[in-house]
Amino acid sequence: MFRSMLEAFKNLFKPVRTHPYPAEDIVLPSGYRGLIEYGIDACIFCDKCEKVCPPGAILFYQHESGEKEYRYNPWLCIYCGECVRACPKPEEALWQSEIKQRPAVVEDGANEGWFAWEEACKKSREEYAAAKKAAKTQNKSEE
Amino acid sequence: MKKTVQIPLGSQHISLLEPIRFKFECENEKIIGVDADVGFVHRGVELACTRSFEFKQVGYVVARVCGLCAITHSLSYTLAAEKLLGYEANDRIKYLRMLMVELDRIHSHMLCLAHTAENAGFEALFMQIMSDRELVMEVQEAISGNRVQFDYISIGGVNRDLTPELSALVHKNLTLLSEKVDMLIGLFENNWSLSLKYKGVGVLSLEDAYTYNALGPLARAAGLATDVRAETNDFPYEALGYKMILESTGDIHARNFVRLREIVNSIEMCRNIIDNLPSGEIQEKAKGKPNGEAVVRVEAPRGELFYLVRGNGQNMLERVRIKTPTFSAIPAMMEVFKGAEYADAPAILASFDPCMSCTAK
Repeated sequence: MFRSMLEAFKNLFKPVRTHPYPAEDIVLPSGYRGLIEYGIDACIFCDKCEKVCPPGAILFYQHESGEKEYRYNPWLCIYCGECVRACPKPEEALWQSEIKQRPAVVEDGANEGWFAWEEACKKSREEYAAAKKAAKTQNKSEE
Repeated sequence: MKKTVQIPLGSQHISLLEPIRFKFECENEKIIGVDADVGFVHRGVELACTRSFEFKQVGYVVARVCGLCAITHSLSYTLAAEKLLGYEANDRIKYLRMLMVELDRIHSHMLCLAHTAENAGFEALFMQIMSDRELVMEVQEAISGNRVQFDYISIGGVNRDLTPELSALVHKNLTLLSEKVDMLIGLFENNWSLSLKYKGVGVLSLEDAYTYNALGPLARAAGLATDVRAETNDFPYEALGYKMILESTGDIHARNFVRLREIVNSIEMCRNIIDNLPSGEIQEKAKGKPNGEAVVRVEAPRGELFYLVRGNGQNMLERVRIKTPTFSAIPAMMEVFKGAEYADAPAILASFDPCMSCTAK
């Protein structure tokens, strides 16, 4: 009993093992798998990242002019890095940073906003495909 | 005339915050009959693997079956898919995969030991083991980049390489950990409250272990020599110092000791892996689409994990079947309860280390 009391007294002066998290930031190890970042200038819009993403956190919106718009949901992403590996231009078009994502707030629309975006992307592609098909048949009939 | 009382334990209980229910039939304080129910949660992972995800993505889906043994699940699926593709990984990939599985075993066993200590009323030891466990978690985080869902293994290799700095970190942390484990072995053997509460409680005899198909530490504590690592040759375990850990008494104390000695063995194996790491690529091309049927068995921390994968030459798989260790061990678990005191039930339950996250997939 005396020994355990002595241990308890000694423990008062030992450094604590827990980390005071919100007050002090946690030191992340180098190579932490953080946010996926995108460089529009180098992107060739091959859609490989979109196809390979397990949760479907990368989507491309098809504009009528033929341009594509990249959209990424960091709250759906599992940070596996498959998209970066699939990218033909890694480090320029798509790369994984060591930045940790902040928690989502209502304004981010992490759920409803994203579901609406998914619908919009799907619709935009169908419309674009239909318009292209219609233009092709019209060209053929004119010939 | 004897009177019996029905007492339920679970589906949520202080000693185990997971959805499993045991219905005990008690005569005074003694349990004479047990009924188990595990079907509380259904997440539909198996169906999602065949309907929503392509075969290359399934490795990341099955890792979500369980947070603790994520690496074992993704490894089992990847081995099955690679068998179907006719691809065999090189030695470096095999060694790196083995390293992560063994680290996973260490931290899972430490979690179970912490829970058994807590159920003996030894809260301080619970906290101490959990803080010592951080040493392994740190290594896993540094190697894979993530703390829980590692996403380290992919079809054709592993996602990250082991640098010399990481090897030094692994050596440093494992040395610190082996000192702590030696201290824990002393505590679990000699501490009055732990040994008094755990010796001779929750005994599974060798015959019962055979009859009820016990797995993993539960079987090895009863003296049943069953370990997938010794039975398959997917990985060169024998060359890296694997030893089968066997105890004979089959009580909670023996189960704790199987886990403690397995941690010691795993630490030794991790060191051997790092010292003898062969050179080579960490990511290779595994071309083709899965066609046929493959069965893979891997030793998860809790016992044998079984995967069946069937493909028909297309991107989507036809069938993925996961049989988890806890589900297979439930008949043996029920047998242990019979004849025990009702007050011992939480301690016995914690010593099985049941994983409902795996079972309710």
